[in-house]
Order: sequence, then C-alpha cells, then structure tokens
Amino acid sequence: MTHASPPLLALQQLRALFKDALQHAGSDELVELRYHKKTLRSVSAREGRVERSLSRGREGVGVRVLAAGTWGFASTSEASPAALRRAIEAARANAVASAPYRKELALRPPPIALAVGDYAEADVDEEHELDERVALVLGLEAAARRHSGRVRTASSVYNELRSDKVIVTSDGADCSVRLWRPELKVSAVAEHEGQRVSQAESIGATGGWATLFRERAEVLAERAAATAVDQLEAAVPEGGRATVILSPALVGLLVHEAVGHTVEADFVQSGSVAAGKLGQRVADDRVTLRDVGHSPHVAGAGGAEPVDDEGVVTQPATVIENGILVGYLHNRESAARFGVAPAGNARAWEYADPPIIRMRNTMIEPGDSDLNEMIASTADGYLLEGARNGQADATGEFMFGAARARRIQGGKLGPLLRGTTVTGLAFDVLQTVDAISREFAWDLGSGHCGKGQPAKVDAGGPWLRCTLTIAGEQR
Amino acid sequence: MSSQNMLLEHCERAMAAALAAGADEAEVIADAGRSVEVAIQKNDLEQVRSADEVTFGVRVRVGDRLGFATGNQASGLRALGEEAVLIAKSSPPEPGLRLPTLSGDLFAPDAVDPELLRLLEPEGRAELCALATRTLRRALAADRRMTIDTGELSVSELRRVLVSSTGGRRAWRGAEASGGLFGMALDGAEVGSFAYDGDRRRQWAELEPALERATDRFVRKCVGALGGLPGESFRGTILVPADCVSELLLDSLTELLGADAVRQGRSPLGDRLGQAIAASGFSLTEAGAGLPGFGLAPFDREGVERRALPLIDNGVLRAILFDGAEACRSSAPGQQSTGHAQGGAASPPMVGPAALSVAAGQTPWDELCAVERAVVVTRFSGTVEPSSGDLSGVVKGGFLVRDGVARPVAETTISGNLYEALRNISGISAEREALGGTSLLPGLRIEDISITAAG
Repeated sequence: MTHASPPLLALQQLRALFKDALQHAGSDELVELRYHKKTLRSVSAREGRVERSLSRGREGVGVRVLAAGTWGFASTSEASPAALRRAIEAARANAVASAPYRKELALRPPPIALAVGDYAEADVDEEHELDERVALVLGLEAAARRHSGRVRTASSVYNELRSDKVIVTSDGADCSVRLWRPELKVSAVAEHEGQRVSQAESIGATGGWATLFRERAEVLAERAAATAVDQLEAAVPEGGRATVILSPALVGLLVHEAVGHTVEADFVQSGSVAAGKLGQRVADDRVTLRDVGHSPHVAGAGGAEPVDDEGVVTQPATVIENGILVGYLHNRESAARFGVAPAGNARAWEYADPPIIRMRNTMIEPGDSDLNEMIASTADGYLLEGARNGQADATGEFMFGAARARRIQGGKLGPLLRGTTVTGLAFDVLQTVDAISREFAWDLGSGHCGKGQPAKVDAGGPWLRCTLTIAGEQR
Repeated sequence: MSSQNMLLEHCERAMAAALAAGADEAEVIADAGRSVEVAIQKNDLEQVRSADEVTFGVRVRVGDRLGFATGNQASGLRALGEEAVLIAKSSPPEPGLRLPTLSGDLFAPDAVDPELLRLLEPEGRAELCALATRTLRRALAADRRMTIDTGELSVSELRRVLVSSTGGRRAWRGAEASGGLFGMALDGAEVGSFAYDGDRRRQWAELEPALERATDRFVRKCVGALGGLPGESFRGTILVPADCVSELLLDSLTELLGADAVRQGRSPLGDRLGQAIAASGFSLTEAGAGLPGFGLAPFDREGVERRALPLIDNGVLRAILFDGAEACRSSAPGQQSTGHAQGGAASPPMVGPAALSVAAGQTPWDELCAVERAVVVTRFSGTVEPSSGDLSGVVKGGFLVRDGVARPVAETTISGNLYEALRNISGISAEREALGGTSLLPGLRIEDISITAAG
C-alpha cells in the first residue's frame, strides 16, 4: 500500500540520515530537519451508500534555519541526501536574503534538553480494514435515519489520520514521533411542513477505537437526529445578557477561542488583550486553566503530542491559576524572550508548514459542584450544549455557536430552543463564573483550529456557570 | 518546476496502472506548484519560505463504484493507482456513476507574467522582502495606533495536468502574486477589533498599487473600530459593505446552490428553480473562467469546460451547480456537468463556484447608508445553519448609524434568517469591489434583522 506507515526502522534510518546532513550546518546557525508523513483515510456514507472513500498521503521534509539573525524555511518532498542538502541551502538563503529587512533580530534559543528517542501515543499501530470502516459509517448513517420519519437525510464520515515524524536539530533533538487520530461525525437533516434543521455530532481522539468510542457510536447518531427533529418546532431564544450553564464542549470553545488565542505569545507580542496582564486577576478564583500536551482526567484528548515540532518534550502550560493570569503559550524563541521554559507549543500541520505557536488540549480544571445542583440553583438562565464553530477577536471578544439551548426557570429545565451564538469579553465572562462541576470531558469532537495552517486541537472541561450575551430574537 | 510533458507522462503511467489493476475508467490529475512567501509577524518581517511540490490524484471507476487516492511521490504512482482501485472495489456500488467524458486535448495558453517567474528564483527574494517591508511600513505609518499581528506577500506558480481514459488530456499553467495584512489598532489600554485586507493579481506590476489600496482600507477598518461601545437592541436594518457580503450571505448561499447540497437535503433550493428567492434587483452569476483581470483555467477539476452561469436573475433562481458525479446522480434526464467541479489534486472534486459576480444596483453606497437607524456589519463572526437558514453572530468592527451619523459599536450581535435576508434586500450599491480576484460584489442593505447590544 502506498500509504502504509513507515516502519520504526525506516524512521530510525531517517534520523541517521538527518544527523549526517546536519554535519554541514554552521556553528553559528540553528538547523531543524523535520520529516513528516501524514496519511488520511476517509470514508463517508449517505442515503445507505458510500458517498466517498479516499486515501491521502503527503510526506516530505521541512527545513528551518536560523541564520544571520532571522529564520528561513524550505521544504522538499524527497528525503534523499541530495534533496536535503538543497533544502538546507534554500532555507539558509531565504534567511540571509531577508535579514537586512528585519528590524529586530531573532535570538538563538538557549540550549535545553530536547527530545531524544522514539515517542508514540497509545494504539499507534491499530489497524481497521476498509470493510470495517465502511460498515461503521453505513451503520451510523442508517441509525440516524431510523430515529424518526422526520429525518430527511443523514450522513456520517469517519477519518483516521496517521502521523509519523522524525525531528533532528543541530542543537540536540533526535527523535521519532508517531500518532494515530481517528474521528467520527454524524449529521442529520430533519424536515416538517417546509422547515428544515440540520444537526451534527462528532468525536475525535488520539488513540484507538476503544478510546474514541467512550460511549456507543450509535448514541452520536441518535443525538444528532433527535436534536434536529426536536429543533423543528423549537423557538429562537430571546437575545440579551443571560446566566448560562455551559457544557464541557462549550467550555472547551470558550477556553480555546476566548482565552487560548489571546495568550499565544506571538499574539501577546503584537498587543493582544492579555499583554501586560501577567499576575493580574482575569477570572474568578475557581478558575484554573491549562494547555496540555497529554490527556489528564480522561484519556484520548484529540490534540495530544508527546513532542512538539521544535523537538521540545511537551509539558503542561498553566495559563490561569485560581483566577490569576500566570503564563503564556510559547515556542522556543518567545520562551527565551519571556525568560521561561518552553512547554512544547510549536506545531506544524504538515511538512511544508513551519512550526508556529499553537494550543494542544486546553481545559479548565474541574471544580466541586454537581450539574444537577447547578441547574436547581439557577433562577433564570439557559443550559447550552453542543459546540459549533467559534472565533475570538483581538479585544478578547469571542463568539461561539451552541447547537442546543434550554431555558432554566426556577431551577427547572424548560423545552428545547434553537441553537444560537453567544458572545462576551473573555476575561469579563470568566470573572462571572460562580459554579464549576466535578464532571469533566474533552469534547471538541472533530474540530480543528485555523491560524494560517490547521492544527488538531482538543478542549474541554467541566460544566461551568457564568454570564454572557446571547444572540437571539428581538421581538 | 516539472514540465508539461513530464507531468503528462507521470499521469499516463498512473492511469495505465489503475486500468491494469482493474479500473474501467481512470482520471489522473497532477498539480505542480512552487511558491515563495515572505511572512510578517509582530510588526516585523518574520521569515521567507519556499516550497516546490507535485501532488497527484487518481480517481477510478470500477463497475458502479468510485475510488480516490492522492499522494506526492512520483515514485509511488503505480501503487497510487492500485490503491484507488482497491478503495473502489471495497465500496458498495452506486448505479449509473461514470467519469465525465472528455473529448480531445485542451492545452490552454499559459496565464503567466514572466516577472512572477523571475521572482520565484532565489535572486527575487530581496525584491519580495522590500515590497513586504514597504507594505508593512505603509500601514504602521498611516496611524501610530496600528499594530500588525501577521501578514504575507507571496508569489506562486501552478501547472495543472489532467488525463482521463474517457478520451482527453488537459493542461494549464498560471501564476499569481498576493499579499495581505491582519492586525488591529491599540489606543492606550484599548485593543481594537481585528481586521484583514489584501489582494491577489496575475500581473506583478498591478500588485503594489492594489496592496496600497488594500492597506489603506485595512487601516481605516482597524482605526475605525476603536472606541466601540455597546449599541442598541432593535429589529431593523443592517448595511453590509461589499467585503462582508460573502461571509454573511454568499458563502452559505453558494453552498446551498450546489447539486450535492440539494440531493443531500441540506438545501431547499432544488425545488425553487424558476421561483423568486431574493429581492427583485439581486442577480448572481458564476463567472466561469474567471473575472476580468484574473483568468482561471478554462476547464474545471474534472477537465470539463468552464462557462459563465447565471444562478439568480433579478431575484429568480435560474440554476444550480453540477459536477460530473452529481450530474450522474441527478434524477433530471440528460443532466450534464455545468463545469463546476472544484479542488486540486489532493482531494476528489467538489461542487462549487470558482468565481462570482453580483450585479450592481443603482444607488450609491452613501445613499444606501442614509437611514434613520442601522448597524454596519463590517465583519461577521457567526454561524449560518444552511438547512433552516438560521443566522446569528457577532458584528466585528461595526458601526451604529443614527440619522446619518455613524459611531463604532462593540458587543453587538445579529440574528435572522438567510432566506428571509435575501428577500429583504432593500438596496444594492452602484459601486462594486473586486475581491481576491474571484468575487465582484456590491454592498447591500437588508431589513428586519434582530440586533442585540450587550448590557
């Protein structure tokens, strides 16, 4: 098969080849070589048949050189010694050509212990034959249609992304990294009396199917279909400021969009709303927020990375500790500027992309409340569930879509309402938090983050009660 | 850069391998691309990046089944063809599926400015860095409150070759230059809303003047967003400048005009052909082989000829978009592809528009804005649910217009319905803007939208 994962031996041979190529690196320059082979297998179903089945492979070597006080980057789809030499020379020439135009020279990151050895996330060698994948998507699509006669169409798509890397740098990184990320999405369109509503549910994980299917896959199909059908006759929520209880998926969007992007050190240096706020209170003291390269509390978070694309072994990055802003997210260069240790937030999507500062798995730590008690103690508000899209602004103003809303009055849940968009200023909203549940979930599903290049991220947390603005109807 | 003949040879080899492995029909596409990009970050030039890659995509039909595989290794083409066949054989059949029939060869003239090819060579790097620096300095000098988060200036060349066992070969080569800035204005402790602006050209000589205009617009958007306060909650008028029309309306509308969305039940528009779905002055055309000044390949992702197609004519829905697969799946007898298969070699074809044009109205934009009360939606950050048309989101860098006077607003959301919004267009500007080479759009005034201000 064209797209079979390279055996570990081949990755070790690449490490040797890269070390050989780096013998020609100058002592005054930093050279990073990163081989990346990414394989996507995807199959989707609709109307009882396979809609699309494909295999995609892309591999090559990304070369980054810090020379003459600036960075140059070049890539090649060949991993031969001659191609490597040409790519290193091109990256070096790119750096040298741009150096006269750079106002502030890039600092060479101080030496640190970088990753050495072979790293892999759980279940990386798990395989599922195409027949098994086809049966999965056909079964889920059928389950969504079976839910109700009002389901007009349904679809399901299963993707699995395999990633094999070798990272060798002239200052000590020498490793291979292997990951496997499956994800699944089910959509349903319901129709009644000319009204149509579509809904989607998705899950994603780093690891095998046992991790992906934390709950029965059919539950996903049933939830997508049920929500679409129920929303056919649901009212639009009223617009305005409201007390809300956010589900773990929406807490995930909140911390990713509203906080995570504003604390990425490249954006902080451009003047984000988090700039200059280290040591200041930005949230209620119940709130502790971290970005992690592993998967605490619940296994399988979709953005897990044992080593980042600069060769840094990933560590937790604490952003907010008991309501106080205590840190930003860094690559090696920005960490050196801020005088802190990098925690492994430099990530590249594919071999031809240079590493940039990205989140991995972003979360709020669980609290000590119970969801039912949180609902019962809410006099007037909304329970919001199901993440759609989300974006954040330089101002810290965020928006994200909630797939489902239910009114809470007198501590009791009311009928389902249409999904809506919510907004607020991140640090203002986090200061209104007055309850955080013990329950915890990673729940960004099949979501990816976009910042010039995509990144597979996850986010989540507990149920959280706060105050924000709902984009609803003005009657 | 791989030559046309070399790519044709690679594609024919992959096609032969797929047919030998059991395909009844095979189509192979190769995209050979090279690019140089100057990246800007944190108000400074960040790095120069160069890339050179050939991507291959193999699509096969085995009986009534389709399979697709893609990769970037010329040495793996035989295996790629075999893998596409294996995928097709493992998929359940879908009666009637065929690849589009191509008759004869079409080797289109190059759309390549030699200046752009010169800039792709190593000796062109300094010239690109110099223009990136001038663009950055222009933005920073325009207002001391400006800060640039990221930006880019790039030159790229793409050679596309496609061969099909149904009887045709296609080839085209194009080059383009583009640039843009993303950032905001800072005033003391106040951080303004993000803005982006940029442009894309086929001619190098046209890029710098276009970037100067884009940079000036960008600065106006960033600085204009400062001082925003919560506005007013009401149900009424929004004003949508040309560069926000796509994100608020057209991106969702054109998705709904795809035959795939109609077949899949996501779009209700398949039943509305010949009916009014928008205000009477609203006309939308898919521009086929491109807008003036930014020509596209004369064939689509499947090799089918591109041609202009009126989609909405004075509010009446006239057509939906088909690619080859959707034409096969259509219940309409004799339905053919309309030449709207999009995408590159790294993915199977998808239905969609390549370039769009909305007809100009007769009212100057300033007159459209002369209303008692409205919100100007400079940027829309939100969600449009295609099936129901439910639309909600946040207005970014927007303004509240009161009796002709505009003031910036923050924390303002809008909510409505896409289908109702199309019918409630009450004004189309006489001016149109060419955006990114592939859109030519006027500004719009839309009535009966729910506007909610925080507080």
